Amino acid sequence: MTAATVPADGCDLDVRDVVKAFGSSVVLRGLSLSVPAGSLTAILGRSGSGKTTFLRVLAGFERADTGSVTIGGVVVDGDGAFVPPEHRRIGYVPQEGALFPHLTVARNVAFGLPRGGSRRARLEGLLALVGMEGMARRYPHQLSGGQQQRVALARALAVDPTLVLLDEPFSSLDAGLRTAVRSEVQAVLRASGATALLVTHDQDEALSWADQVAVLRDGRIGQLASPQELYTRPSDPDVAGFVGEANVLPGVAEPPYVRTVLGALAVAGGDVAPAGAPVTVLVRPEQVALVAEAEGAACGAVRDLQYYGHDAVVRVDLAGPAPAAPAAPAGSGAAAAPARPVGPLVVRVMGAATCEPGDVVGVAVRGPVLAWARPHDPEELPECDSGG
Amino acid sequence: MQARRVVTSEEPPNHVAGLIGAATGTPAAAAAGPVGSGRRRRRWPGPFVWASALVAAALVLPLVFLVVESASFGWSAVLALVFRGLTASLLWHTVSLTVCVTACCAVLGTVLAWCVERTDLAGRRWWGALVVVPVGIPDFAVAFGWRSLFAGIGGFGGALLVMSLAVYPLVYLPVAASFRDADPGQEEVARSLGTGRLATFWRVTLGQARGAILGGCLLVALVVLAEYGAFEILGYQTFTTEIFTQLQTGFDTDAACALSLVLVLVSLVVLAGEGAARGRGRTARVGSAAARAGRVRLGRWHPAVQGGFALLAAAALGVPVVAVLYWLGHGGPAPLPAVSLGAAAARTAAYGAAAGVVATAAAFPVAVLSVRRPGRLAAVLERSSYVVLAVPGVVLALTLTYASERYANGALYQTNVLLVLAYAVMFFPLALVSVRASVARAPAHLEEMGRSLGRSPAAVLWRVTLPLVAPGLAAAFSLVFLEVVTELTATLLLIPTGASTLATQFWAYETNLSYGQAAPFVAVMMAVAVVPSYVLGRWFDRMPARRAVAA
Repeated sequence: MTAATVPADGCDLDVRDVVKAFGSSVVLRGLSLSVPAGSLTAILGRSGSGKTTFLRVLAGFERADTGSVTIGGVVVDGDGAFVPPEHRRIGYVPQEGALFPHLTVARNVAFGLPRGGSRRARLEGLLALVGMEGMARRYPHQLSGGQQQRVALARALAVDPTLVLLDEPFSSLDAGLRTAVRSEVQAVLRASGATALLVTHDQDEALSWADQVAVLRDGRIGQLASPQELYTRPSDPDVAGFVGEANVLPGVAEPPYVRTVLGALAVAGGDVAPAGAPVTVLVRPEQVALVAEAEGAACGAVRDLQYYGHDAVVRVDLAGPAPAAPAAPAGSGAAAAPARPVGPLVVRVMGAATCEPGDVVGVAVRGPVLAWARPHDPEELPECDSGG
Repeated sequence: MQARRVVTSEEPPNHVAGLIGAATGTPAAAAAGPVGSGRRRRRWPGPFVWASALVAAALVLPLVFLVVESASFGWSAVLALVFRGLTASLLWHTVSLTVCVTACCAVLGTVLAWCVERTDLAGRRWWGALVVVPVGIPDFAVAFGWRSLFAGIGGFGGALLVMSLAVYPLVYLPVAASFRDADPGQEEVARSLGTGRLATFWRVTLGQARGAILGGCLLVALVVLAEYGAFEILGYQTFTTEIFTQLQTGFDTDAACALSLVLVLVSLVVLAGEGAARGRGRTARVGSAAARAGRVRLGRWHPAVQGGFALLAAAALGVPVVAVLYWLGHGGPAPLPAVSLGAAAARTAAYGAAAGVVATAAAFPVAVLSVRRPGRLAAVLERSSYVVLAVPGVVLALTLTYASERYANGALYQTNVLLVLAYAVMFFPLALVSVRASVARAPAHLEEMGRSLGRSPAAVLWRVTLPLVAPGLAAAFSLVFLEVVTELTATLLLIPTGASTLATQFWAYETNLSYGQAAPFVAVMMAVAVVPSYVLGRWFDRMPARRAVAA
């Protein structure tokens, strides 16, 4: 579907088992990733996960120890082949832009343009594309951070790239500007039809910007999925916690339900577990509603609340099932009451919350939840493996 | 990479680099290396390592020669020469003057810097430019100015006055730079934490400038230890003047050698002492806020401070300039054969240019290694090149003379080649600081950008690296050039017989008390000093790129 709708300007990218080590520290540990032509992909990872190293391998600034990188069907790294950066036609937009400080905006953008008649027209087109028409004679230090980023993007697009790499390009911008520049860049990339990879540690940025998001963890891709898929069906609790706030609860499988401290919840996805098997359940904060104490599946005391304007986050210390907890819809009732979660339950409510710290409230889960067929051990969380 | 928001203005691998840079107005620390590229290994061609090792070895060689030469006289003879009354008296003369000049310069330089950078002193930009100018005037010219106008100036007091006036900018420059770069927010925080105004000054303001003050003091002490011309004019005897006399008139090399050993030892102690006093302090600045705190109001002290600045300018600048102008107008008949001013100037310029090229070229591999591939090897190579700071010009001349006689059958002695080499060795640290800063201005990621935009490595070198590095190379060249123009001690000992530079010809007339004939040579040296200072100033000002690169 995607291949049919995008212009064919970009190339597809195929990365196989790339390993890259610096001395004794192994940064990329068998990274594999496949990206269709013309798509926008976000690489989401914590600091130190190898995001920048991965982009540098793609750009040809580093050479992979093993594995291969194929762009548009051409092996640019691997099996003894190595195409130097200047022959890869990759547009690279590093953090902070890295504009040439001694060149004007026009000369920066034109740096990679071939000499010829259409050079000037092409330059003007590029500057117009990023909305920098009147700035051609300025020097980088005379530009704001957002303008520098746009010039860096225009410069990268000037080489008519097969692939555009963006290394946390928005992290140096302040919050208001970041959203605006991000969507501008997105529009420019869509218009150019380029395949683009954006590296970021900001999950909002990754989810809102990309067609697909790859979670980079411990030097390999933990999960590759569309933003919605990644948010609603993360492959494990670690990914779930990384792409948004998550309540991870222990539970017991009772197909098609799971029994948790929040009652028996309908399961919409995840693994199939036999009845009675221990499972781990993901409940997003916005799936939980605050109700009257008597109407909830469980109750607890409000620990604290944070008000964000458009919504508020309430943390509730669960006390146990509500006094009048409704019977499990199809439960056998045989299973023991599941253990309570370790931390407080995080609840997101729209607008202002009506409760105060200390209030005893009821909580109820709306909609189906996700369950993983493995017991939940909070201690193990950071080490969770994607395959598990 | 995540620590990017925390700008740590850590001292460069060798703090001497930072302080020389500040003292000479080159932003060594300002353009720290590419952020976050330290971890990435880059395969560097071996030639850089080999060239750096060669340079470092060449710079350590004079010390080796000195030891070898001393050994050739037999250690017992040398020790007998060291432990005699003359040495003790010279040691007292030298050390007491060095300590006093250093203390005076520390106070003067710090107070001036604080007034210019932190108070509402009227005309502070103008004063700030003016108080730096004496750095370009050779010390012997200041001494000449005072001695020729006030014949009574001399001895310890005269030496203290003249040297303090001539070299205080070496403290002023780094301290002013550190005041300028320090986060004024720290002072505001200290005040808000209940610290008084005076206590804040002691604990925070001076704390911020501590490294700069120490660094400036180190340079002052090394200059005083190495000074010859000014003390000769003022009739004050130090190790350097005595070594010079032994070499020039007595040809008493073993005595000169013994005294040199002590002098170098004192210099090394100063060099090491400064490093120890500095400790491991570093300044960190979070974020890049450029908030300016309000300036201290001088209030009723304003006239007194203005008067102080005027007095200083008159003493440090006015006296030498007026003396030169006076003697230009009162030139008596020439008792010595007249040497064309033009010929001396041309020879001086040729030496300066040659030494500038050699020193800059030698500094390049060391700078590239230390910026692009920081590590233990680079640090060792860079550090060893600063040992040269502890070798005064007179000692260098002594050791090079010995080496040329011993290993080259005297073929190199008093040749242009040996003189240029001596200059290049002496002023290598200055060149290294500038070149290092300029190499840091062209970080590796800009070259990578250029290549990913489809340009070959050669094209990137030509279009990206060279334009960014060239101004710094020019600055290094200019600095060395300027120093060579005003160098006297080593020049007198190593210049080919019959040839003369501006400085040696000035010296010939001055020692003959022909002030009228000497004056034009000083005038040209002063004028020449303005040009490289201007180039450096322009380079420092016109650094739009600096922020973009370092941001």
